[in-house]
Amino acid sequence: MKRYIGKRALSGLLIVILSVCFNFTLIRLAPGDPIRIMAGTDNPNEEMIETLQKKYGLDKSIPEQFVMFLGQVAQGDLGYSYISDESVVTLISDKIGPTLALSLTSVTLAVTFGTILGIYAARKNGSWFDRFVCGISYVFDATPGFWLGLMMILIFASTLKWFPTSGMVNLRANYTGFARFLDICRHLVLPVATQVLVQTPYYFRIARSSVLQVMSEDFITTFRATGMKESRIFNKYVLRNAIMPTITVLGMSLAHLLSGSVLIETVFAWPGMGRLMYNSISKRDYPVLTGIYLVTSVVICIAMILVDILYGFIDPRIRYD
Amino acid sequence: MALLEIKNVNVRYIMKDKKVHACQHVSLEIEEQDSIGIVGESGSGKSTLASAILRLLPKRITQVDGEILYNGRDLLKLSQEEMNALRWTDLATVFQKSMSALSPVHKVGSQMEDVYRVHFPNADKAEIRKRVYQLFEIVNLSDRVYELYPHELSGGMMQRVSIALALLHNPKLLVLDEATTALDVVTQSQILREIMNLEQNMNLTRIMITHDVSVVASTCKKVAVMYAGRMMESGETRDVLVNPQHPYTQGLLKSFPSFKGEKNDLRGIPGSLPDLSQEIPGCVFADRCPYTTERCRTEEPMLRSVNGKSNWKVACHRVGGGE
Repeated sequence: MKRYIGKRALSGLLIVILSVCFNFTLIRLAPGDPIRIMAGTDNPNEEMIETLQKKYGLDKSIPEQFVMFLGQVAQGDLGYSYISDESVVTLISDKIGPTLALSLTSVTLAVTFGTILGIYAARKNGSWFDRFVCGISYVFDATPGFWLGLMMILIFASTLKWFPTSGMVNLRANYTGFARFLDICRHLVLPVATQVLVQTPYYFRIARSSVLQVMSEDFITTFRATGMKESRIFNKYVLRNAIMPTITVLGMSLAHLLSGSVLIETVFAWPGMGRLMYNSISKRDYPVLTGIYLVTSVVICIAMILVDILYGFIDPRIRYD
Repeated sequence: MALLEIKNVNVRYIMKDKKVHACQHVSLEIEEQDSIGIVGESGSGKSTLASAILRLLPKRITQVDGEILYNGRDLLKLSQEEMNALRWTDLATVFQKSMSALSPVHKVGSQMEDVYRVHFPNADKAEIRKRVYQLFEIVNLSDRVYELYPHELSGGMMQRVSIALALLHNPKLLVLDEATTALDVVTQSQILREIMNLEQNMNLTRIMITHDVSVVASTCKKVAVMYAGRMMESGETRDVLVNPQHPYTQGLLKSFPSFKGEKNDLRGIPGSLPDLSQEIPGCVFADRCPYTTERCRTEEPMLRSVNGKSNWKVACHRVGGGE
């Protein structure tokens, strides 16, 4: 097991380096130039542009730039934003908290609701409840998240005034301590509700179909033939066998924890990684983008390793030696 | 009194726009300590009949009528609790696909423990383990299988596990639904021999569902031949297989090569099963039978005793009775 984790960590490191290398190159090859954006579009001063390019090392070739970047990373430095001149490390660490608050809450709720509803619907397959929830899930599955977000704002914030329209804290009131926490919670409700509504159908369908599939397996018939109680068969044998697909998609969604909610964060003006990324892309803020890619790929790799280890615990057919 | 008496059982699968008559007017008597093989080609309703006896057919899409008397009690009329009480202590079964007969993510021993506790909820681990080891010895498995997962066993071993599982509570009636069909002949004969030994020691009655007539010939006292959901012929193996009366049985036997004797012509039965969703007014075999007459197409033949033996029954207008 230890050897397996070591091996996975090593290959994970390789994957991180490769993906950062790709992203580093691709974003620089894409059309658009941060210096020209900085210098403004009408009548830019070529001399000034050259000075700026030198200042940020953009006059060098991409491989040279990448080597310089790796040297920085080795010292724990991710560079400075072209736009705000802030350190990338500070920028990301400021935004990672809000993003995790939003995405972790949403994913946890969506997985819980979706899986419980899915299991229950499968148990009552063909019933009124099953058909009703299936229908609803298709509706929300087909609803774009950003549109749903806007509708949420329109109904619950603008019209009913139950929740704030956007942001993470009330900027006018300077809350501290527990009051601040409550304030953040109030701001969280709408974006989280939007995310949950959009994501739940996904987990619902995975759980439902996998429970249904397991219920048609031969060993279920064996247990029925022995006279075992239906509840015992379900709680011990069906659930454990049916949980794997949910863990798989959960692992994949952990990968999107940091980057998945760009649109929702933009709609709700949530000060998180998604918005940081959106702004950085539109301004070609290379150091910030590379930093975000680095952090996301590390998180994805860790999530994948965790999921793989979890597999081994749940399914004895998977062993890592 | 017969241990199991199947009287005029009909099973229909209900589909959206049609009903499939998987078993029609099936009657069969099984005495205590009998071993009876039910043979027939795929789709003849033999597995459906087995599931009907064990009440394992999905309720929503099947319709079963008739009587299945076990020790005089109609299994079809029992409540779920009454039926569950009979399961495994009286009626046990071994399925064909033994590799998937147990949950892949739980250990063999823990699953057997669970099944043991269905009827003895307070049994302690040591007692169960002792019983399971005893059964493992009977079916020729080593004790360490208890701690293994199903995927760590071979097909033959899993088949033995399934048999050990079926014998857990000393059942009176054992239904083997194609239980050895998927095994190689060597393993198959080994396991069949073990089962026959068990029968003598454990007072077991066996129903064996198979399409392999040779298995029936070598291991069963009686045989019942099914075709298209109907019972064609039933009786003692040495009568039915030596001197088959029904044209279908004759055709079925000609489809198997024999080891001994000269090469007799090996041939199948031309044609295929009739559409079971249609009502068939006459004999179901009429389309494929070489001796079909006008009467065969209009009047359904009933099972009748032949050759003066009460347990040898044939459903054919040509045989027995007044012609």
